[in-house]
Amino acid sequence: MSPRPGAGQLVLRLLVLLGPLVALLATGLVGAVPADWLIALVAALAVAFAAMPDSPFGTAVMVVVLAWWGISLRDGLHPEAVIAAAGLVTAHVAAVLASYGPGSMPLDRAVVGLWAVRGAAVLLASPAVWAVATVLRDQPEPPGIWVAGLAAAFVATLVAAVSFQLDGRP
Amino acid sequence: MKEWRATSSLSRALVVGVFGVGAAVLFGEPVLVVLTAPFVLAGALGLVHRPTAAPRVSTRLDHVALHEGQGTLSRLVLLEGDDVEHVTRVAAASAYVAMHPADGQVGRLLGEGPPDLELSPRRWGRRMLGEEKVGLHTRWAGYRWGPVSVGGQEMRVLPVTAPFDSRAEAPQPLGVVGVHRSRRLGDGSEFAGIRPFQVGDRLRRINWRVSLRADALHVETTRAEEDSGVLLVVDALADHGRSGGAEGAASSLDLTVRAAAAIAEHHVRNGDRVSLRVVGRGGERVGYGSGKAHLRMLLGTLAGMRIGEPRGLDTETMQFGVTGGTVVVVLSPMLAESIGTATATMVRRGLPVLVIDTLPPGAAPAVADGTDPVLADLAWRMRKVEREQVLGRLSTLGCPVVTWRGPGTVDDVMHRLARRAQQPRVRAR
Repeated sequence: MSPRPGAGQLVLRLLVLLGPLVALLATGLVGAVPADWLIALVAALAVAFAAMPDSPFGTAVMVVVLAWWGISLRDGLHPEAVIAAAGLVTAHVAAVLASYGPGSMPLDRAVVGLWAVRGAAVLLASPAVWAVATVLRDQPEPPGIWVAGLAAAFVATLVAAVSFQLDGRP
Repeated sequence: MKEWRATSSLSRALVVGVFGVGAAVLFGEPVLVVLTAPFVLAGALGLVHRPTAAPRVSTRLDHVALHEGQGTLSRLVLLEGDDVEHVTRVAAASAYVAMHPADGQVGRLLGEGPPDLELSPRRWGRRMLGEEKVGLHTRWAGYRWGPVSVGGQEMRVLPVTAPFDSRAEAPQPLGVVGVHRSRRLGDGSEFAGIRPFQVGDRLRRINWRVSLRADALHVETTRAEEDSGVLLVVDALADHGRSGGAEGAASSLDLTVRAAAAIAEHHVRNGDRVSLRVVGRGGERVGYGSGKAHLRMLLGTLAGMRIGEPRGLDTETMQFGVTGGTVVVVLSPMLAESIGTATATMVRRGLPVLVIDTLPPGAAPAVADGTDPVLADLAWRMRKVEREQVLGRLSTLGCPVVTWRGPGTVDDVMHRLARRAQQPRVRAR
């Protein structure tokens, strides 16, 4: 008989479950309420993510939420996006903590504290980007900015892919 | 998997980050960058801390030989762990081994030291510790090493020696040196009597008060002090009853082994020569000896004995090679006819034999699945009736039978055996 998960693990799974839902429903604050089927889809993926924090369901649910944000609020730069980012980062950090060991493993206070700080630190990038984007929004667009941006994204992807290929070879 | 692999957390952060930035660039939606900027950052930090060293892990027990109820640490030894930030350790449960944390799962930052597991064996015997899985993570949980299997160490658990001390002297001491009062007179400290002086007597033995009164030299005689041989016969043919470990209920073998350990320790401490013979599958035996090293050997043999009926067990093969001057202590629940017969044979030979009954009061047989409980109960009752007959016959032969109750259990019986040993007897052959 496998040991039952403790209260800490249950809280982590709850955060993993609620994070994507909060991020999805945050568009409702600016008038774009998601359809019921979309809420059900995200809820189902979030449940699977909470049950298996190491699975690709986490990536899938976040991509769905991002797609909804891109489609529902065309050309919208609302501060509510920071709330959605907080939901996604919370789910991600909770999943990291949950994937450190079996579902019944008790949480170490120092590890939780470290990841709370890390989560808060990376989340700061979200309001910072929002502020920069808001300031630059009405500025004239330099020629070739999107091409440069695309090239930067391509290079970043390439670096990540190469890194993955080298994975396992110290 | 003894290699580093990217974690699902890193791949999630990178995929979400790349997807968000790419879509933002392609469709001109800066809000997607707002949403995914933390993931880009987390993914980048995970990649930056890519490991370069190949760690090696093993576990080490602080003590491999312990007494029941004692505790030790199972330490995790991590080499080449410079890239490691978090260590996860999951140990499988083992029978009669308590762990802390109770479920054997512990994860912590390596900066606080490798996670140790506290272990405490609850029952004597050889305890094989459960297999462990160890997993390592780098900073920002970017890479994972393992989980790999380690452990599977064996621990030898010696029986706890209940505080036991007997003031009774040995019935037939026959050795060179020791603390037991001998039947013969000799050079000792125990007063035996006063007799007229004879040529060869030591002058320091002269009792001047009696010599002056009697107007002739008289000397004090003393009893020699000798050690005694003690043979412990342990019945390991079967285990009856349920064992709850050091603090729980005791099975028949628990009582047998703990009583044997206590008696052995007592006699070894008194300088007696103690021997052990296990009647079981392994047929373990330890020759006569004394001293701390010998006691350790006795306890180790008790801890490692194999339980079960040996091949070709009969009274002919159960010759213990007991000589005069040896006290035989048979520790048994007396449920096997062969043990009863062998004990009776030794009693008939005139040896001082003491039977310690180690059947727990509420012992019930282990019944195979599908057995009719009524039938099993009937069989058990018949067996107990036979046991009572065996014990009754031994008592008739003059063999004392006592139930093990810890300290002082054998005092009265040993006194009686010692008194009986002083009297002339006719041996039955």
